[in-house]
Amino acid sequence: MKRLLAFSVLAATIVASCATTGTPGPSASGSAATGAHPKVGLVTDVGGLNDKSFNSLADKGRKDAAAQLFVDTSVTESKQQADYVPNLTKYAQDKYDLVIGVGFLMQNAVWKVAKQFPNVKFAIIDGAPQDDAGATQNLPNVANLFFKEQEAGYLVGVIAATMAKNKVGAATHNTVCSMGGLPIPPVDRFIAGYQDAVKTISPDTKILNGYSQDFVDQQKGKEVGLKHIAAGCDILFQVAGGSGLGYIDAAKNAKVYAIGVDADQSAVAPGTVITSALKKVDVAVFQTIRSIRLGTFKAGDNSFNATNDGVGYGTLDKVVPADAKAAADKALADIKSGKITPKDTVQVK
Amino acid sequence: MTQLQQPATTGPGSESPAPSVRQLTFQWAGGPAIPLLSVAIALVLGAIFVLLSGKDPIAAYSALIQGAFGTPYDITETIVSAIPLVLTGLSVAIAFRTGLFNIGAQGQLLVGAVCAGWAGSQFAGLPGVLLMPIVILFGIGGGAFYGGIVGLLKAVRGVNEVITTIMLNYTIVAVMHWLLQAGPMTAQNALGTPASTPIGAGARLPVIVPNELVLFSRLHAGVLLAAAAVVLFWFLLWRTPLGYQLRAVGLGSRAAAQAGIDPARHMVLVMAIAGGFAGLGGMIEVSGLFGRVYDGFASSYGFDAIAVALLGKNSPVGVVLAALLFGAFVHGGAYMQSHAAISSNLVAIIQSFVLFVIAAEALVRSLTRRRRRTPKPVEAIA
Amino acid sequence: MTAEMFLGAAVLAAMLRLAAPIALAALGGVVTERSGVTNIALEASMLVGAFFGIVAADRTRNIWIAIGVAVLAGLLVALLHAYASITLRSDQIVSGMALNILALGLTTYLDYQLYGTTGTPPDLPGLPDVHLGFLSGLPYLGEAIGGQNSMVWVMALLVVVLQLFLFRTVPGLRLRAVGEHPRAAETVGIDVRRIRYVAVLASGALAALGGAYLSLGVAHSFTDGMTGGRGFIGLAAMIFGRWTPVGALAASLIFGYGNALSTSLQGATIGDVRVPVQLLGTLPYILTILAVAGFVGRSRPPAADGQPYEIEGHA
Repeated sequence: MKRLLAFSVLAATIVASCATTGTPGPSASGSAATGAHPKVGLVTDVGGLNDKSFNSLADKGRKDAAAQLFVDTSVTESKQQADYVPNLTKYAQDKYDLVIGVGFLMQNAVWKVAKQFPNVKFAIIDGAPQDDAGATQNLPNVANLFFKEQEAGYLVGVIAATMAKNKVGAATHNTVCSMGGLPIPPVDRFIAGYQDAVKTISPDTKILNGYSQDFVDQQKGKEVGLKHIAAGCDILFQVAGGSGLGYIDAAKNAKVYAIGVDADQSAVAPGTVITSALKKVDVAVFQTIRSIRLGTFKAGDNSFNATNDGVGYGTLDKVVPADAKAAADKALADIKSGKITPKDTVQVK
Repeated sequence: MTQLQQPATTGPGSESPAPSVRQLTFQWAGGPAIPLLSVAIALVLGAIFVLLSGKDPIAAYSALIQGAFGTPYDITETIVSAIPLVLTGLSVAIAFRTGLFNIGAQGQLLVGAVCAGWAGSQFAGLPGVLLMPIVILFGIGGGAFYGGIVGLLKAVRGVNEVITTIMLNYTIVAVMHWLLQAGPMTAQNALGTPASTPIGAGARLPVIVPNELVLFSRLHAGVLLAAAAVVLFWFLLWRTPLGYQLRAVGLGSRAAAQAGIDPARHMVLVMAIAGGFAGLGGMIEVSGLFGRVYDGFASSYGFDAIAVALLGKNSPVGVVLAALLFGAFVHGGAYMQSHAAISSNLVAIIQSFVLFVIAAEALVRSLTRRRRRTPKPVEAIA
Repeated sequence: MTAEMFLGAAVLAAMLRLAAPIALAALGGVVTERSGVTNIALEASMLVGAFFGIVAADRTRNIWIAIGVAVLAGLLVALLHAYASITLRSDQIVSGMALNILALGLTTYLDYQLYGTTGTPPDLPGLPDVHLGFLSGLPYLGEAIGGQNSMVWVMALLVVVLQLFLFRTVPGLRLRAVGEHPRAAETVGIDVRRIRYVAVLASGALAALGGAYLSLGVAHSFTDGMTGGRGFIGLAAMIFGRWTPVGALAASLIFGYGNALSTSLQGATIGDVRVPVQLLGTLPYILTILAVAGFVGRSRPPAADGQPYEIEGHA
């Protein structure tokens, strides 16, 4: 009883102190917090800002926008999935102009909050608003930012296949492989495009695939890498966030090659990472924020793909021969023109 | 005081210092003053840390408090965050009370959620008056089953519950990956969100705060279930013969033997009850917030529950207050980040200070405490 | 499914790699709990060891200093726990939990401050592998142990050393006495508190070695939370192994084997049906439960484990 009383006193003191605290304004990367600048809020997935994957890329886009577009930005990391709704709602309640949610797990949350705040604009990375029954329901104030990961996978697959076929450098076994974190569609689409390219360009190249079952644990990623290398793989394509860094490390130790994902990962292991399958989440975020600035916000599906430079292949290591680059550029042109449509389902599981 | 493992042999004899003025003073001080003082010290330490990281502690803490309690919406959100922690906290607490360490609340919550989610979608057509109790029973039952395994293994094969609970926690996570990504519970869904088929409307816990009162509040009827669970916890432990027996076991196996408990039965029962509490927590999250089971939807409730139970001294009121404190940290911490640009990790650091200082509180207690080797009369601690 | 997938040399090699960090944490657990102090903050020591090892490797470009810093970080965490548990006689579970939360928050925070989203730099000095050339001829052993990391060998050595120390030396006997009958030990003149302090510090150092192995030996980088619960698995291994170094190693190997299987069995089929890759993830845990339930059963901790000790005559 005494304890209850004491805690109530404490609570009352706390609540009373709220009356005396002003509302802290949104903190931006340097810009003034007045109504003149649009306010943009970013709500991340549960992986944390430093997930070496979508959250960090989206945050980069936010920072770029804050620096170049005269907007006030703020970021909130979600710790649990239950946090999505209140994190989005707080920004909406504070009359932010744009609230961005990262990841397809937020689809229902964005649907809920966007309906409650029709005057606030929202964007979802990798998703569309999804109602409680699980059906997609586009809303007039929500932009659905989709990426054709398979196109990025295809481009790096072309490079890998060309190098494997011609036995360039350390790629002597004519075997390529990939590793996903978990077999979920955003991951598998990369792998699907990769495998499609390899089968098209070099049908007799052996293809391996595996999963680390984790997006953080590097040791697990390295184990899959060691397994693939032992089976002869020379070009390892990682699609597993932080865990994929272990996959790359396995390639580095064995002095073979690796391909990064999402961001340009050439700096992760120079000389090992020959290119990366870019999913330009930062560009998508930047452009969406820019559309708010320019008044060109487009609700509904917004596709980021090869045609509008939303996906691509990253910095090529010097070991990549000119013909591989040329093949990749040709594939890019073909995808843009519609001549090639990379598959989006994995063939070699 | 918690015991990590049941000592199979009796240890050194007990000590009982004669009552003294100093002891009585410490006993009063061992009431509410010490935990409050601990929280205050922890907040000061946290402020120093914020300062060291180049941010303004005043801005940080006022954002924390503003975020947790500033508006009615925030208060309801703090409560929403606290609800699963109450249930998992009770789960850990009841095990601690009876001498077992239930690290498995996380897994038990998930199993309860999966079972409730399955039942809710399987029987979606049923009206709420039928479906809701079914879903609640599945949630409790799933968790109780998962906890019961732990108790059974310990009772029959002597397997330490620390091992089984840790292992089972990871197991259900992996099983859920399978169930919800490519397995029998995966919903047919655009973009392949790893989630189950939505539960029927009758299984959804309604929001109990009308929009006129708090706009867009998410506070759902799960808070009532949580309150009922708290009352049940208290009733079970202090108003039933079983509860007396269970508490007696927690105070020393010699006491239990004298009270005539079968330790094997006790272990299975307690772990099942503990699992049931956690499972109910999982069901509440599914029914009250998500409407379906999402892969990885609850990654730290079980872990936080240990801290909640310990902070709350394994008592029903304490668990509720500690859960609210943690809920405030969650919801207020997000605001700290979004509006004062304080890293969410600093919130975690401050939380650890709170725990750490609470732990030191035991210094005072241990100066006046008897070693628990002989049965004690019914404890009067709330 | 082939026998190769279960018993191939590659699987054994993987088992050793995966068991090493867990075994190191478990060894730390054995030492501290044998002295009567419960240390669930092994995860914290591992994580700070992993992080500060990388930071030191980055700043000094010297692997030995990096290891030293990693161990120092682990020692500091353990010191906090020792102070709280032994001197303040706090609840050892709460103290351990607090340290785990602190370590995760602190390392994540500092990681972002120092390395942002670009991550730790490449080409950091790493723990060298030990290549046993003379074994390369042997068909099975050559692959299984011929190329393991130096820390795996250090771990094996520590198992032997600690097993001998605890059960064949007088100081080891004293340590165990402190864990079983502290009051009796005190009456024969053993400084209970000092021995417990040393034991807890040693556990921090051992766990930190496990963390350093992960960051400097396996990943050559740091990612937030990279220990992923190995400190807790180590605790389970300690209990499974009946609080002996050799037992802890055996338990870690069983867990490591299950882990290795979950990679090696990917792509395996039973008849026509592929084993779902997600379910393979349950292997190490199910295997461990079965092993404990089937072969170990009841295990008794040191009698005074987890209980704060009051020195006779102290106020």
